[in-house]
Amino acid sequence: MTASNVQPIAPGREQAPPPAVRALDLTKRYGAFTAVDGISFEIRPGECFGLLGPNGAGKTTTIKMINCTSPLTAGNLWVDGKDVRRQQRAIKSALGVVSQADSLDGDLTVLQNLVCYGRYFNLTSRETMRRAHEVLEFFSLDDRAASTPDELSGGMRRRLLIARVLLHQPRILLLDEPTTGLDPQSRLMVWDKLSELKDEGITILLTTHYMAETSYLCDRLIIIDNGKVLVEGSPAELIDRHVGSHVTEVRVEHHERESLEQALSVAGAELDHWGDSIIVYHRNGAGIPPGLDLGNRPVTTRPGNLEDVFLRLTGRGLRDG
Amino acid sequence: MTTALAALQTTVLWGGFRVWQRNRDAFFRAWKVETGGIAVEPLVMLIALGYGLGAYIRDVDGLTYAAFLAPGVVASYAMWHSIFDSTYGAYLRMETHNIYEAVLYTPLGPADIVMGEVFWSATRGLLSAACVLVTATAFGLVHSPWAVLALPAALMIGVMFAAIAMVVTATVQTIGAINNFFTLFILPMFWVSGVFFPVDQLPPVVQWGAWALPLTPAVELVRGLMTGDLHWWMLAWVGEIVVFWAVSMFFATRFMTRRLIR
Repeated sequence: MTASNVQPIAPGREQAPPPAVRALDLTKRYGAFTAVDGISFEIRPGECFGLLGPNGAGKTTTIKMINCTSPLTAGNLWVDGKDVRRQQRAIKSALGVVSQADSLDGDLTVLQNLVCYGRYFNLTSRETMRRAHEVLEFFSLDDRAASTPDELSGGMRRRLLIARVLLHQPRILLLDEPTTGLDPQSRLMVWDKLSELKDEGITILLTTHYMAETSYLCDRLIIIDNGKVLVEGSPAELIDRHVGSHVTEVRVEHHERESLEQALSVAGAELDHWGDSIIVYHRNGAGIPPGLDLGNRPVTTRPGNLEDVFLRLTGRGLRDG
Repeated sequence: MTTALAALQTTVLWGGFRVWQRNRDAFFRAWKVETGGIAVEPLVMLIALGYGLGAYIRDVDGLTYAAFLAPGVVASYAMWHSIFDSTYGAYLRMETHNIYEAVLYTPLGPADIVMGEVFWSATRGLLSAACVLVTATAFGLVHSPWAVLALPAALMIGVMFAAIAMVVTATVQTIGAINNFFTLFILPMFWVSGVFFPVDQLPPVVQWGAWALPLTPAVELVRGLMTGDLHWWMLAWVGEIVVFWAVSMFFATRFMTRRLIR
């Protein structure tokens, strides 16, 4: 570069890094089935981004396109500023991927699992050993280096899966349901560690069915269903926008549900029902209309949460897929 | 220098080496279990057929039956151990133990996996062939120093058969379907490829068929080296092995990519 074509740089724009992930009309079709239907989103460097949706919504397919193991049908996708169609090796070197499958190597010890991974990333053996002990210690697995994965508990295995993909110091972590099936203590530990990683500046893309996990970890999230983005925003924004500050649940007798729903609607309440419960959203100052007598029915009022947002947007019907 | 190394590290040979290292580590952790099949089984076959059955069989092409049979056992055990690993072994690593998935989430891809698996399976075949060769030498069944070259030949044979087997592994939908590869292809081939008797004993039409099978040039190559009966046309057999390998490798990589990257 010669001095004449050096552009003056606007203050604060010196190192504007590319988005960690940028998807534009991302589409994936398997034959006649459309798994991901033209979604667009952007993940900023250093944030924790939630990818939420019912089973079969297209979360895992999206992750596979990001980690270059599923070719795009249409649209564009850049990871760490690189095109997934062209720079797969560079992208995969910058990623740490934990899928839903337990892919620990049962033929090797815990330490060998890490050594083997280090070789795939062409780390030197000295570097691998140093990092291996660091990540094992980080996840409180340092006394298990000589064990085989079969000898570990479910929570330990999951921690090892995450530890393994931290070995090469990835800039972006893709975690597909990292805490599904864990006991509450193990889940808290994983949350704690992911939160520490976030503080270190690692970008995290997370799919989960635990809304508390999303609220705890995610700066922003999208909810997708049937391959399309339904909403995007921070947990607080989405709660505020779609369910409001509080939610009231009213348990009713089966036969009186419809009439009470009608009375509430007429009085201007926003509501849903699930089984024999009526759910009233306190949004934009609305709530249980004043003057409406709920009698001595069981009534619970609690703060609105992401679970309410999720169910409101994706419905309460069962998904199998 | 460092850029040359960096360039080398992006090649499929290097990626394959990484996968090969994984299998080697797994093998050495389980070596007590693995040794029986690799060393003991071909030894039993050599003793049973070469000395037990061989006592009733007259010399073949001027060789005792045991000396005639030994190269066939070297070549076919390079095949057996290679294809067991690259069919059942590879299928379990791929579908049951998610080893391939773990590799795919690193800079490596399907071509690296196929390369590493093929060379690892061939390494197992080579270990088995080496055990037979050492035993045969101890029994006085090897007369030519050219026999040393039976080892690289066994590696080549293992690589060829592993590539052929990987085409099967990449395309079958269930592990049971692999059985057909053995019962319909490998076993019939095993009987007519010159392991147990010279191929020219067969009717001419069957002979041509036998020469079109990959085990026949493999056996004849090793027999030539172990008996010291060398001919220039053995290069044609090397060529046949290389062609079988190259074509199978191409399709194994293609089908495996189609299976893993969807």
